[in-house]
Amino acid sequence: MIITEKFTYQPGEHEAEKASNSYLMSLIAIIAGLPFPIINLIATIAFYLGNKKGTYFVRWHCTQALVSQLSVFIMNSFGFWWTVSIIFGSETVSNKYISYLITIFIFNLLEFVATIYTAIKTREGSHINWWFYGDLTNLLCKP
Amino acid sequence: MKKLAAQVILLVGFFLGSWLVIYQVDWMHLFNVEQINKKTEEKLGNLFWDFFNHSQKEIQDMAVLIPIDSILNRICLANEIDTSQIKIHIFKNDEINAFALPNKHLVIYTQLILTTENEAELSGVICHELAHMEMNHVMKKLIKEVGLSALISITTGNNSAEIVKETAKLLSSTAYDRSLEREADTKAVDYLSKAQIDPEPFANFLYKLAINESKNETLLIWMSTHPDSKERAEFVIEYSKGMPKNFRPILVQTSWDTLQKTLREWK
Repeated sequence: MIITEKFTYQPGEHEAEKASNSYLMSLIAIIAGLPFPIINLIATIAFYLGNKKGTYFVRWHCTQALVSQLSVFIMNSFGFWWTVSIIFGSETVSNKYISYLITIFIFNLLEFVATIYTAIKTREGSHINWWFYGDLTNLLCKP
Repeated sequence: MKKLAAQVILLVGFFLGSWLVIYQVDWMHLFNVEQINKKTEEKLGNLFWDFFNHSQKEIQDMAVLIPIDSILNRICLANEIDTSQIKIHIFKNDEINAFALPNKHLVIYTQLILTTENEAELSGVICHELAHMEMNHVMKKLIKEVGLSALISITTGNNSAEIVKETAKLLSSTAYDRSLEREADTKAVDYLSKAQIDPEPFANFLYKLAINESKNETLLIWMSTHPDSKERAEFVIEYSKGMPKNFRPILVQTSWDTLQKTLREWK
């Protein structure tokens, strides 16, 4: 799922720190924005835009940090509006709803652990390529 | 690009598959959700019951209660409904109305009983309200109209008399969704059939209300809370076609006559 690969060049200390920060940014946003999924995405987009003119290594990891949040963002948004419709609308708590919440909790947890691991490794200068998100980043981010 | 598309499909499949696997566990039971819902319903039922009990006069006359209990018992026994859970209340009121409250309180107004011509018509109305109770329509309606947050607020002590009054009015004088009404009618005919009671008089009662609506519309509350009576009567007739016709009376004629006479005297 997560592969350590060789980057096209050896990133410097400053680059590794910036790239690692992009993952930390998404982590902080996850903690702050748990009830409101959009906050995670906005925070990562802001960090991505701030580093748009950074080096390739920094841009690449900012992009991966951003796209890796898209799937949990969709899952969390759906869960969020489902909860809202239960509290304020006509929906009722059902087995389907509870199992959905547990599923998105597990996926969020996996994302959380993977993000921490990637942040640590990237800080050491390693190039961490996520399954699917890494390929998507390669498509979006060119040298 | 093809590889990415395949990965997206795999990712979505993995998510849906995980959801499906987790769904196999009965979380509602594990987290006691049904128990919590039951307690909320109990609290709401008691609150609304207190409201009606204080604002209207309940009939405690055995000449009225015994025949109604006999009808209820026949329906419940035949349909495996726990009779001890159903709390039936007859109120002296000139409106033609009957309605279900949370926690299985069934309220019937005297004028509705007086308007029915026989026990089968009354049984139809009782079956319809029982169906609303058994299919959890009462709570569904409350959640839809008032919202879960407001209901929890009522049950957790923020129950201002005005909110309880408005919500109680909502239960007694507004209609259910069209789909819920159809479900309740279908279930009511099933109940009647299993209890060996002819469903046709129930349809006749709906027709009768539809015809009389223009004459006395202010008192025909059950009619306004159960719209499209003519269409519903036709549905009852159509749905009950082909069902067994092994009908048996519940009350002897004198019991029915005494019930009607006692209620007329209460007027």
